Amino acid sequence: MSSDPTITIKEAPEPRGPYVHARQHGGLVYVTAQIGRDPKTGDFVKGGFEAEFNQAIDNLEAILKAAGSSLERVVKAQIEFVEEKDLDAMNRIYGERFHDPLPARTSFGAAFLWKGAKVQIDCVATLD
Amino acid sequence: MPAAHRGVVSRRGPQPTGSYPHAHVHGGMVWVTAQAGRDPGNGELVEGGMAGQMDRAISNLDAILEECGSSLDRVIRTQIMYTDRSDVEAMDEVYARRFTAPLPVRTSWGVKFLAAEPGTELVRVQIDCIAAVG
Repeated sequence: MSSDPTITIKEAPEPRGPYVHARQHGGLVYVTAQIGRDPKTGDFVKGGFEAEFNQAIDNLEAILKAAGSSLERVVKAQIEFVEEKDLDAMNRIYGERFHDPLPARTSFGAAFLWKGAKVQIDCVATLD
Repeated sequence: MPAAHRGVVSRRGPQPTGSYPHAHVHGGMVWVTAQAGRDPGNGELVEGGMAGQMDRAISNLDAILEECGSSLDRVIRTQIMYTDRSDVEAMDEVYARRFTAPLPVRTSWGVKFLAAEPGTELVRVQIDCIAAVG
């Protein structure tokens, strides 16, 4: 492999496991699922689902920026969340943060997420 | 199937129990079907709980990737589904031993159940991946 295809930055929460923040291949950047952890402290942000989801998208955005991409260039997003009652808040916040041309999206309820996270979101984006 | 697409079933992975191959190759990439900790020889779930199943599942991925002209170090992204939140440390310990830099991106989440034959020990984890070929 000619150069390191991986990206891990300080502006997103430090990985707490054997993974990187992002990896490039074939003109696309793949991003690890982000949860609502503050990049500075590593702790979950306070404020419940809405705060966590906004922070998770902030983390995604910082990683995309470092990779040379952006939220506007996301082609596919995937969201897992734990509580069915958070569906409306999820859709509202997502609609505030993502704009036309919107990515394809898959979302579903998970039985549980890492360390009690309420929501996580990953994506694939273009580098052009 | 269009010529540029290729489904791959390897003798070295547990034989598929439904309408899917082990992997699908297209455009310099391979998409691998989620693997559980099944022994490729007899199709049965291996012993050892999360650690045993995770190790075997990654071995199955490894064998399938090799058959497709890829390998674990060319994996771009993995997805892991697991059934018990207390398994997370065992899962990471095995994963960290089997995947080395450059590490893939990863998404994992807890699920209610994973496909298992009735009467067998529960499948605790499955893992799929996308990797570069060549």
